[in-house]
Formats: sequence, C-alpha cells, structure tokens
Amino acid sequence: MKLNRSIFWILPVLALALPLVLNQYLQYVVNLMLVYILVSVGFNIVVGNLGQLAFSNVAFFGIGAYASGILTTQLGMPWWLTVVPAGFCGALAGCAASIPALRGVRLFYLAIMTLAFGELMRWLYIRTPGLTGGSMGLTVPEPAVFGWMLTNEYQKFYVFLFIVVVVVIATSRLLESRIGRAFLAIKNDENAAAAMGIPTGQYFLLAFALSGFVVGIGGSMYAALVGHLSPEDFDLIQVILHFAIIMVGGLGSLIGSILGSILITATPEVIRHFEWLVGSEEWIFGVAIIVVILFLPRGLSSLLAKVNPIFKDRYYRD
Amino acid sequence: MALLTVTNATVQFGGLIAVNQVSFRAEPGKVRALIGPNGAGKTTLFKAIAGEEQLASGTIHFQDQAIHTLTPHEISARGIRRTFQTGGLFGELTALENVLAGLHTKIPSSFGGLLANTRSAKAVEKAATKKALKLLDLMGIAHVAEQWARDLSGGQKRMVEIVRALATDPPLLLLDEPAVGLAPPVRLELMNIIRRLVDEENIGVILIEHAIEFVMTVSDTIMVLNNGEVIAEGAPDEIRQNKNVLEAYLGR
Repeated sequence: MKLNRSIFWILPVLALALPLVLNQYLQYVVNLMLVYILVSVGFNIVVGNLGQLAFSNVAFFGIGAYASGILTTQLGMPWWLTVVPAGFCGALAGCAASIPALRGVRLFYLAIMTLAFGELMRWLYIRTPGLTGGSMGLTVPEPAVFGWMLTNEYQKFYVFLFIVVVVVIATSRLLESRIGRAFLAIKNDENAAAAMGIPTGQYFLLAFALSGFVVGIGGSMYAALVGHLSPEDFDLIQVILHFAIIMVGGLGSLIGSILGSILITATPEVIRHFEWLVGSEEWIFGVAIIVVILFLPRGLSSLLAKVNPIFKDRYYRD
Repeated sequence: MALLTVTNATVQFGGLIAVNQVSFRAEPGKVRALIGPNGAGKTTLFKAIAGEEQLASGTIHFQDQAIHTLTPHEISARGIRRTFQTGGLFGELTALENVLAGLHTKIPSSFGGLLANTRSAKAVEKAATKKALKLLDLMGIAHVAEQWARDLSGGQKRMVEIVRALATDPPLLLLDEPAVGLAPPVRLELMNIIRRLVDEENIGVILIEHAIEFVMTVSDTIMVLNNGEVIAEGAPDEIRQNKNVLEAYLGR
C-alpha cells in the first residue's frame, strides 16, 4: 500500500484524546512514556546512529532534570523557561562526555568511562545539597507555562506532547540529512569517513551534544512530571532501562525509540493490571526483552519496516 | 607544476623506519605506481599523504601548499581522495548513499536549514543525489545504486569506491590495490577507467598494486620501494630491466 509520511501525524493527533479516556494515574504513565521517548531518541543518536558504546545518557538525563529543578527552585524561573536551558546543560554534558571518544577511546573502554560519568554525576548530586538537596532530593514546584500552573497530569500531557513532537521532528530532520549520513559513515568506517572529507571529530561532538540536548529536555520534563528529584532516580538501573528501550525498539531507529519507550514503560503497568501476575513483573519484563532481541535482533522497528517501507527511517538498517 | 611534491618523507613507528627519506613528484594526467614487497612501506606512504600518519621528518606539498600538518578530512577537502586496500565502503549505506557521503563537503546545507527543512537544504541534497546517480551511471553501476554496499560483489564495491572518491572531482586520486580480487575482465575495465580519468580528465593517480601486468600497462612511472626506501624509479620498461628490482621484487 502506498502511504504518505503524513500518517505519522495520526499518533500525536489520536493521543490528543487520551485524557478523555485515561485516569490520572494512567495519564501519568503516558506522560512518563513521553519523557522516555526523548531519553531514548537522544540515546539512540550516539549508540544507534554514531555506533558508539557510550552510556553517559543517564548523566544527561539527570543534568537536564536537575538543571530544570535548580532553575525553578533557586532562581524562581517558571518551568517552561527552563526547558531549553536544561537541553543546553545536557548538550554541554554531551560535549564533556565526548572527550574520551574524541581522544580515541572506543568500545568497552568508552562504555566504562561513560558509565563512570553517570555515577560521578550521581555522587555530585549527593555532595551538593545546597543546590540539589543532596540525598534528600529536590522538590520541584508545580510546573508553570506562560503563567498557567500545570496542576494535573492531563495539562502536563498536552505540554509534553507538544515538546516531544517538536523535538522528534527536529531530530528526525537532522538524522535524515547529510548529518545522519555522516553519523552512519563514521559508525561503519571512521578512517574512510575522514577520507571523504567528513570532519569526524566535529561529528562526534555534534552527536554527543545533540544527544545531550534531547535527553536534557527529557530530564526537564521528568522534573516537571515527578515533582521530586533524588539521586537514585539516575542510577545504573536507568542505564539498563534506556538500553533496553533502544534495543527492543531498534538500534538507530527513531521510530524504534518511540515504540520501545511506549512498550517498555507500559509493560510493568500492564502486568500490574493482572492480579495473578503481581510480583513477577521483573522476570516477565526480562523474558520479554530477551525474546524480542532473540527473534528481532534489529528491534520492533524492523518488523514495522517489513509492514511498509514508510515506517523505516532513512538511515535505519534492519 | 607538480600536483604533489613529497620531499624526504620519513615515517617512523617507534624504532622501525617504515618510510625512509622518500621524495617524488606526482603530475596531473599521469599514473605513478608504487610497487614493492609486502612491508615495503607503500601503504604507510599513502597514509602519510592522506594525513593518517604523521611524518617524522620531510614535507608533503599539494598544489604548492604544505599538507603534512593537516588532518585527513582537511586533506580530502583540498582534493586528495583515496580508496582503501580492504573495506573502505560504508557497508550499511547503499551504493548511492556511499557516493553522497563522498560528496559530503559539496552539500552546503546549514544546520539551521536542515532543522527548518528549507527549500534550499532540500535542493542541495537533491542536486547531490542527481550528481551521484550520474556518476554511478558513468561507471555503469547505476543499477546497484539502491543496494547496500556490503551486499555488492567485489568488482562493484571497487567501482563504487572509485566513484565515491571521484565524486568531488579531486585533482589527485590515491588507489590502494584496486585490482586485488578482481576477475581479469573487470581488471581490464578498471584499467580502462583509470586511463580514461588520467587522459581525459587530467587527474593525477598514485597507485599501489601487486598485479604486475596491471601496473606495467596502466602506469606512466613506476617507483619501487623496499624496506621503506626508493630503490628504483622509471618508465615500466626500465623497471622491468632493473637489476635491483628483479632481485627485490620481481624475483628473478
């Protein structure tokens, strides 16, 4: 069937009706999905598109969240004005995280160094109680947008949806352009990419900064969603979660990041829904991830790409 | 004017001198072949020209400008393009996308233009795609444009690599063992393509190759390296008669 890419708009348009059918709690879960969409879209840029084993994502997430939290509590800024600064803080963290990669650190060495970055940030949140509230955490005031307070999950949802749509479209445009092509060229063969005139160092920096920016905005949304940030929110479990999302969704696929976020966030809630399954969330979750990766090594987006090529990102390879 | 002037170039790996005081000039419209046994320093010399290895001493000038302090992508942007001994293609990109990646520096869309998806950003991408397809067609491989590079045959891969390197109309092309693994008719085709580029487009080519008949037929000048040093240089016929070369390389 010949489809047009405008069908992608069906998803956000249909989503507009969600507050009509969901209770506050389920709406909260959907809002969390929106947060994880940005977290995984950003993560996938570095891991899936640039092909680097870098796990600094949790640092970007935490920095974005705390940036928003600190700007609202310490400077009294309304939340909506902190979203873009939180993105820039994430981007700065991305630049910092790219330093080992720029110095030629790759693979497992890069993985362990970037993991350490996340843990270092968690240590920093605990050790700077004046700013972050330390281990007690930071209570973030109710988010405000143009003077309006977002007092319930439904209101947050519409604002989050708007942000996610804008950021996802912007990211998609970059990844489908010569920039995305350069990322994939570097992933395939760095030397050959440089020999084609692609400034590989600049593209490493760009990928990490872009990733940090997108994830930082996700962090800012997270701060507004949960209202209380604590260092444990940004621990190693989060790394596994982010990684599971992009593996299940599809490495290097933006559509996959979205699918993965929805699925992985929804799974525990669905399990909780069935009383006889309560208590086995963890292992069902684990088995589900293993099954998907075993049978769909390129993630759910590879399945979708088979249904119709329209669902395939330009530079996603199943 | 010489296109490329290499003067007393030396590359060292710790105590090992891989390239020792090598000097030569490459001219436009000429094929210069580098031959020599394995480990003679041919690829290292290539890498030094392309900026992947640092010179311990000596200089490299391209169109009268020093390039031995530049990075690989800067050298590529100046107009020296290379192919690789193995790999080199972006396997997950299609043949067409490989050529587009080769055109990277010629696609002048700005970051903001891409974000806003402006008409001019779309236009430059479209123009580049058109050019890439035309180049693939010129080499007779337009039919594989949409195939992933990793799925192409050895000969097709080599052709795509050459198209990708030539996409920016570089004055100088470095070919690292282009004939390896190619069937005789494909070799012949490749030879014709190289001669056509050199004779009609006035491109300078430096070629590393072990297939000796290929080298003897296609080259204007042959330079023989052994243990990092130039042991002979001359026209194919002279090299064929050279006693040092016979001992070191041709094995008689």
